[in-house]
Amino acid sequence: MNVIETRQLEKRFGTVRALDRVSTTLPEGSTTLLRGPNGAGKTTLLRVLAALTRPTGGEVRVLGVNPFGADGAAQRSRLGYLGQETALYGELTLQENLEFYARLHGVDPDRIEFLIHELELEGVAGRRVQTLSLGYRRRAGLARARLTDPSLLLLDEPWNGLDAEASQQLTHWLEQHHKAGRSALVAAHSPSAGTGLFDAEIRLERGRLLGTES
Amino acid sequence: MNGPRVFAAVLGKDLRLDLRSWDRLGPMAVFAALVMVLLSTALPTASAASPGWIPALVWMVFLLTSLLGLGRSFQAESEQGTIVLLTQAPCDRGWVFLGKATANWLALLGVELWTAFLCWVLLDVEWGVAWPEILGVGLLGALGLAVVGTLLSALACAARFPVFLLPVLLFPLVLPVLVLASRMTGEALAGDQIASAMWVGLALYDWVFLLIAYFVFDYVLED
Repeated sequence: MNVIETRQLEKRFGTVRALDRVSTTLPEGSTTLLRGPNGAGKTTLLRVLAALTRPTGGEVRVLGVNPFGADGAAQRSRLGYLGQETALYGELTLQENLEFYARLHGVDPDRIEFLIHELELEGVAGRRVQTLSLGYRRRAGLARARLTDPSLLLLDEPWNGLDAEASQQLTHWLEQHHKAGRSALVAAHSPSAGTGLFDAEIRLERGRLLGTES
Repeated sequence: MNGPRVFAAVLGKDLRLDLRSWDRLGPMAVFAALVMVLLSTALPTASAASPGWIPALVWMVFLLTSLLGLGRSFQAESEQGTIVLLTQAPCDRGWVFLGKATANWLALLGVELWTAFLCWVLLDVEWGVAWPEILGVGLLGALGLAVVGTLLSALACAARFPVFLLPVLLFPLVLPVLVLASRMTGEALAGDQIASAMWVGLALYDWVFLLIAYFVFDYVLED
């Protein structure tokens, strides 16, 4: 089964084609690198797959359903998305941010404690996010994306802003995610930290699919 | 049933943020106070001499004050990138709208009470004359502003000039609320019976826009 399927997928912003007839698949259990230079369309593709941006043409299926269709809403908890922004409320503490997301998705609060411990965020869990360093905010964003224990992860430049230790931790955790038979699509233009992690690669340039390698 | 849970989570989060930072309520309260002080010093005579235009004035002040808070409702989500979390809520996104609109409604009711207090102190407006009717008008009027304002705030935050766009869209759309609420408040203050057609008109306006907003919100939240 494919967790992602796109056929002639197109996204235009005015006269600009951010995605130009992209057709690709992502098999279940794979950890795939989405690669391309700045402006290649990586972020747009991830946002379409996460149902944040509606495509202007073509077809898309994520976890077996059209994310913009009637069944799409119920699938959103099975999907973990982390964009280039960490998507956390600066005025709330890290713990409160995770509690809000857990409530939104009906997640057991015990999982918050588990992730805070696993990502070594105990020391800063009670602090307001606006007072945290970028590295801690990225870690907190990761904890948020993993809160629902998603079947499919969509990560946009996840190593940005992480120090060497946190980068290794992320790579290690992505390996665990892979071993558990779950899928991930990770956008990066220079994924040095994740070398050896990916079992497939999708290359985009100027919105077009240049190729897929396994 | 994910919808009610999402509604409660969004409402609780917004109330917590409002009460913690006062980023929205503070400027609204200060703005309302400043305008009321200016009016009380600039107006030639006491309100009791010309009660006809006082309700319209009060509702105009309330509308302008509301604009400050409604604009921040989605602007803050957009600036922090947290709009992604709302877009990914595992239910019909109309429930997210209901949570945001309810938080805005409660914030506007707080501002309404503050404005009413200032009117009483500075303009000698006697709200106690017909308080149940005035309370009803206040609740329905604030609901109309909150519903339309929440929807337009979400629309405007995707635009290049949200600060400009929101009032341009909001003022014409809430004109019925302003007209009905002003007239109803005026009649209540004068001790007259408010026509039932006006109650129905105001409630119908709120209900129609609530339904429209609920169903179009799915598209508004997406890019």
